[in-house]
Amino acid sequence: MTPEARVSQEGRPAGLAAAGPGTAAAPRARAPGHLADPRRTSGLVLAVFIAPALLIYAGLTAYPAFRTIFDSFYTIEGLERVPVGLANYRALLADETFWIAVRNTFVWAFVAPLLDVATGLLLALALYAGVPFGRFLRVAWFAPVLLSYVVVAILWMWLYNYDWGVVNVALRGLGLGALTRSWLGDPSTALAALIVTHAWKWAGFNMVVCLAAIHSLPSEVLEASELDNCGWGAKLRHIIVPMLRPTLLNLYVLAFIGKMKVFDLVWIMTGGGPLWATETVSTYVYKRAFNWNTFDLGYPSAIATVWFGVVCAAVILLNRVFRARERLEY
Amino acid sequence: MARGTLSAALFGAGLLAAGSAGAAEPTQITMWSNWPDEPAKKEWVTARVRAFEAAQKQCTVKLSFIPKADIYTQAKSAVRTGQAPDVFYMEPDQPEFLAGGFLEPIDAYVDLSKLEDWAKPAWTQKGKVYGLPVEAYTVELYYNKDKVKAVGVEVPASAQLTQDGFRDLVRKGVAAGVTPVSQGVGDRPFPGGLLLFESLLRKLGTADYGRLLNGELSFKDPRVAETMTYVKELVDLGAYPKSFATLKLGESHYYFYQNPGALTFPDPSWFTGRAFAPAASGGMPDGFPLGIMQFPAMDGGQCPTCKTLAVAGSFVIYARGKNKDCAGALLASMATVDNGTKWMEQVSLQTGLKSDPSKIKSSHEDYFRELNARNKDVTYFFGTPLLYYRAKCAETYTQVMNNAFPAGLISVKDAAERMDAACLKS
Repeated sequence: MTPEARVSQEGRPAGLAAAGPGTAAAPRARAPGHLADPRRTSGLVLAVFIAPALLIYAGLTAYPAFRTIFDSFYTIEGLERVPVGLANYRALLADETFWIAVRNTFVWAFVAPLLDVATGLLLALALYAGVPFGRFLRVAWFAPVLLSYVVVAILWMWLYNYDWGVVNVALRGLGLGALTRSWLGDPSTALAALIVTHAWKWAGFNMVVCLAAIHSLPSEVLEASELDNCGWGAKLRHIIVPMLRPTLLNLYVLAFIGKMKVFDLVWIMTGGGPLWATETVSTYVYKRAFNWNTFDLGYPSAIATVWFGVVCAAVILLNRVFRARERLEY
Repeated sequence: MARGTLSAALFGAGLLAAGSAGAAEPTQITMWSNWPDEPAKKEWVTARVRAFEAAQKQCTVKLSFIPKADIYTQAKSAVRTGQAPDVFYMEPDQPEFLAGGFLEPIDAYVDLSKLEDWAKPAWTQKGKVYGLPVEAYTVELYYNKDKVKAVGVEVPASAQLTQDGFRDLVRKGVAAGVTPVSQGVGDRPFPGGLLLFESLLRKLGTADYGRLLNGELSFKDPRVAETMTYVKELVDLGAYPKSFATLKLGESHYYFYQNPGALTFPDPSWFTGRAFAPAASGGMPDGFPLGIMQFPAMDGGQCPTCKTLAVAGSFVIYARGKNKDCAGALLASMATVDNGTKWMEQVSLQTGLKSDPSKIKSSHEDYFRELNARNKDVTYFFGTPLLYYRAKCAETYTQVMNNAFPAGLISVKDAAERMDAACLKS
């Protein structure tokens, strides 16, 4: 039977076409339609479909999250749990290292996305403008996204190596030997060095999204601007970037969320040092949970709970600020 | 000892009874060991496990070699949920496992007379011993005899330079373009503190050094400040590599004896685990002019002959394990004089198991001779700083004394204030 044969002239399924309104066949005719519209499916069927995902979500996301909040009101030593009320939260307020970690994470989360998005946009514009070897460059620039953080970290530790890393070798080659330094070993440059590494890894992702957005811009607007003798710079400034604004803001918020949780790169490259210059909230939580010569998960749970609230609040705030003009989707 | 022997007999009787039943399946226990990248130690552990399996039929061992940091992280979760391995690697600087009640005393299984008396306290709590101290070490100052001579420094017969003599060595090394001290803290929380804390031990003597590590003596003590000022002077002269902050332990080995080469290398005596690997695998080249000198004697120091001794790699039994008899039998089979001797032969490193030096046959006899000479008539202090420091104090040690201070990032006063704030008991 061909697909056409199964559909009546009115465009309805054959079963429905045969049964007119008010006929005895009408209740039977509702069955296929009933199944076709998920909004009218029975609760049981819905539950069967939703249950697996819901169970996974409840077991692997919701329960750990609530358990973390619950644990934050206890001190847990070995197998003993001692309720301590808000003591962990009070201790957090006086924890100097925690505040250093908060400062570093905020710097990273608010500043680095600008670098990420700007780099991605520039690369996308270069491809859009028809840079030579564009197809190759598109792959090359996207490749770091596919690398694991471990590989990226090791690669950049080599690049930053004081003795033979390409950064210092290039500086020496340019006669700027005085600028060479241990980029990851100097508290004044370590965080910036990590931010650059992170931006390098994610620039390709931003590039792909920006490129897709540029290609989806209405061609008539761009053509009209060309008819008006609008130059490349003016077109970029007055047409392309404003029209890409929702995309760029979405990318910013996505990058912001990712950086509020940054861990892998820091852990491998600096471990939070030197002198806590690259300590982030995530690395500090890990240290307190697993490197502190204690089994107490109460205090690290308190940090995680506070930070969960901070991330949610920051995202809501960013949404409010940006949504004043654009609707964000991520 | 009697208790250990009795337990062994009971276990043997149990095995016989089980054997007579005939149909019993062997019990498989799990064991996590460190040293996946140290062939000699890995071979020693593997051989002991295989010998244990061959000697009886009731227990088999599922042996895994896992990096130390991963063992600690995984074990911390696993011990709570009852899923930890029956036997796992542990070092005494992880006291939380013992404090949490997750370790089984080994007294009932192992003949404690087969352990060195100095090694037992590392694992003793309330009169019971909780770990089999396989790996022990002293903190040594290795050096390249040819390079040191080439820069114009003669190491005296005592093998110990004075404070001024060591400063002169550093100065001459820098002038000759040779890094005086190969050291990096890229992947370890302790190497950067070796030179300073060994100097502090010699300056303060064992009693006050112990007070310092126990938070009972301030880092602002004049003798401590004087020693820190001396080490800061060495740092400012350029004692350490510029890549100090990111240089990993394995790389600092390579830096010392291969490329670019350095005058000295402060390292625990487990140095041999990497250095005696084949040169193609990053080990020391054949014919490398390796020497061992004492850390410099501090001016007015209380104990120039002091030296740090410590227990490192050990094996413990999980208290909630279901196969503790097999686990105990495994550790009992490892704790023999013969196995201690084999460890020293194969690994060229001290052990907390008793051994018979007269039977050691090693291709590194010269090294052993020199190591023994450097450990003759010394006064041992037991434990490194991280054995004493905990939590915030340990983290401050790692960030300040291991990293920032030897990297020249902070002053003596700043470092002392940070350590006191984190470690000094009020």
